[in-house]
Amino acid sequence: MSALPIRSQASSRRSVQLERTPVNMPMQFLRRNAVPITLILLSCAVYVGAAIATDQTTQLSLAGIVGLLQRMVALGLVALGQSFVIIGGSIDLSVANLISVSAVLAAYFMQGQPDAIAYSVVLVLIAAAVVGIINGLLVARLKVNPLIATLGMGLVLQGILTVSFTQLQGTVPSVYQQMAYGQIAGIPVAVIGLFALAVLAALCLTYTKAGARLLAVGGNAQSARLAGINCARVLVGAHVLSALMAGLAGLYLASWLGAATPWVGRDGGYDLDSIAAVVIGGTLLAGGRGSIAGTLAGVFIFATIDAVFNMLQINAFLGQVLRGVVVIVAVGLYTFRSRSHTA
Amino acid sequence: MHTTDPAFRPVSSLPMTSPLSQAKLPLLQMRGIRKTFGSVTVLQDVSLDCNAGQVHAICGENGAGKSTLMKVLSGIYTPDDGEIRIDGQLVRFTSPGQANAAGVAIIHQELALLPHRTVAQNIFLGHEPSRLGFINQRAMHEGACAALQRVSCDIDPRLECSRLSVAEQQMVEIAKAVSLNARILVLDEPTAALDDVESQKLFTLIADLRRQGVAMLYISHRMAEIMALADQVTVIKDGQRMATLSADEASVDRIVHLMVGRELSDFYPPSAARAPGADVYAVEDGRNEYVRDVHLRLREGEIVGIAGLEDSGKIDLARTVFGEHRWHRGRVYTWDGCGAARSPRDAARRGIGYLPDDRKREGLGLRQSLRDNASLTMRALAGPMADAYRGTRATLRIDALLKQVEVRAASLDMPVGELSGGNQQKVMVARWMARQPHLWVVCEPTRGIDVGAKATIYNLLRDYANAGGTVLMVSSDLVELIGLCDRLYVMAQGRIVAHLPRGSSEESIMAQAVRHDFDGPVVGEQP
Repeated sequence: MSALPIRSQASSRRSVQLERTPVNMPMQFLRRNAVPITLILLSCAVYVGAAIATDQTTQLSLAGIVGLLQRMVALGLVALGQSFVIIGGSIDLSVANLISVSAVLAAYFMQGQPDAIAYSVVLVLIAAAVVGIINGLLVARLKVNPLIATLGMGLVLQGILTVSFTQLQGTVPSVYQQMAYGQIAGIPVAVIGLFALAVLAALCLTYTKAGARLLAVGGNAQSARLAGINCARVLVGAHVLSALMAGLAGLYLASWLGAATPWVGRDGGYDLDSIAAVVIGGTLLAGGRGSIAGTLAGVFIFATIDAVFNMLQINAFLGQVLRGVVVIVAVGLYTFRSRSHTA
Repeated sequence: MHTTDPAFRPVSSLPMTSPLSQAKLPLLQMRGIRKTFGSVTVLQDVSLDCNAGQVHAICGENGAGKSTLMKVLSGIYTPDDGEIRIDGQLVRFTSPGQANAAGVAIIHQELALLPHRTVAQNIFLGHEPSRLGFINQRAMHEGACAALQRVSCDIDPRLECSRLSVAEQQMVEIAKAVSLNARILVLDEPTAALDDVESQKLFTLIADLRRQGVAMLYISHRMAEIMALADQVTVIKDGQRMATLSADEASVDRIVHLMVGRELSDFYPPSAARAPGADVYAVEDGRNEYVRDVHLRLREGEIVGIAGLEDSGKIDLARTVFGEHRWHRGRVYTWDGCGAARSPRDAARRGIGYLPDDRKREGLGLRQSLRDNASLTMRALAGPMADAYRGTRATLRIDALLKQVEVRAASLDMPVGELSGGNQQKVMVARWMARQPHLWVVCEPTRGIDVGAKATIYNLLRDYANAGGTVLMVSSDLVELIGLCDRLYVMAQGRIVAHLPRGSSEESIMAQAVRHDFDGPVVGEQP
């Protein structure tokens, strides 16, 4: 946008002392995350309102809220990985089918044996990482459009799975289901795990060189390259992270369901939902700017929408309508805000 | 700084070599550089030296090979032949990172800062101070402050770069180079997007860096700058070095002659062939969120210039005339009596043309062909059926126009993004000539294009005015405003502060452009 006529005054006001001037951190945080915070508060209000209106006050107890958080886990894991890829200027559409593959493989490797858990988990994650590496190389080295590359990869995975599913039957041992159902001090292990990973991801993004590089590549790949950054390596890394998180989500779903079907990922709609959650959180779809806290907010909003529709006993497919509206409104708000900033 | 800078090394600390021979060894030597793309030879046997603390200007038309030469130096391209020596050491860069490490930094024509990251994060991009992968935020902040201080710039390093002006972003780019301890700094048209005050600041900084022993390669189309700054001038034409002149030998005419083989005297076309005709566009007391107190009158056959600093609102005034912004208040007269343009489409349909200041972002579809780009507006406003504005006849007309504006391209079907800036601009000009507008608003018509293309565009604009058209020309280049325009308005802080006749001096224009009075008198009378 063009500058205002009074720009010269603004610039002199802006050139404050270089010494540490106290910056109002909480206010800055609020202003930056205004949209996700508003959406969280709004969805909380709707949730509480729906619970009171339908007289299901158990939903407001600790158990009810824990249940709500538990709904976040699978999508949350995928969306964390998706955040990295999108911040890097790419996108990953193969996550849904990768989740199915991971879940099926986990059940197959374990075959109900508790002592097979450890190596099964490792094998599944290795398989996921390989998929991530291929995705990354396709995008970064062969310069295939990420939309096409990962969509194609998703189709390949789904095809392989459909063909070979009859040979890949298996169940998970009951011990393994502790991953989904186990609790520490009343809080599910999986929820704790999700938030721990989110904190780790946020730290990486903000405070490490790797995070700075990812933001640079997503912001302007050419200038990142000219600054001596190996863009391909950064992108492959982001895709591997995304694939690993999808693999984790598959492992979690296998634990949650006790068995795996080859449609678990696709039916969950994890590919588009994870992208939507990331975008609601204020991450630019074009890359270069993003927030992990925002992504979690997006996931939380989706979880409450599902819970509320459950409580109101409305057709779940109508929930899709609301999801769509939320995504559009959120992105619209961001655009509106950024426009009013510059004007 | 590095101890190898002869300017900084005390003479007594050189026991082995005499200070003279040490000073004679150029910091940068490029010898016999050759670079080909496919069958096209872009550089052929180009050699060039630059001493520490020296500014070496590189001149040449667009497409002459200057930028390629600089890309070879900074490791973006590897040369097919020839050698580069820094401090006498043979170097061979295969990536920009290696060139950075050897002390070569390049400030690109298109600034490449990350808009959503802070100044400090941009300065340390790719070499963040860190331990175990974690960035040392404090060291980064302090390092950024130090680097900015070295370039005498008081920007807060915590600001996001999207909030900086172009000039400030350039300072940040230079600070970035300084933080890398760059000893060889390439400035690729650094003043292309700066106004005169900002340019002066940059020149002060260049003088500073020169004292600090930095060798600078300076690419520019602006002769005045080159004459003022350069210790040496190398002229490149068609990928070959024409000459290297010392500051004493160089003169504007000689440089231009070497570049294009033509003298500067026939650079600007003669002034208007006839007295201006009827009013075409007039505003009284116009105002909107960008500009205020606008009294403007444009007549047939005139080229009217608008001068002003970068943030003076001159581009916004141009956009308002074209209907991109609306007038909130004021009486607007137009030749057709329909009032101000309500949208760019309305403007284009009624016969107002607009040449945007940023042709890559607002003008061209870079991946589409010359022909498609040139016919864009004509086709957009054509009726549904094939007529003179659509179909084969339209294509023929566009081809004729592209020929008339002297576009030099291998084919009219090639992507316009592969052309030089001058040829791209000619395509933009052709696009509007196809519409034959009554009033043509042109913004920075010659930004970043070579001398030959400049002369062509000046002539096209003058011919258009002589044929009864009206040109409103917004430019940061005072010399071209003076050379081409019949009269000038000067803008400052969003309002027109002066109206000056043809033949006004650069000084008198600048004096008005830098006025800071909020509501001072308007200098000069409108016709």
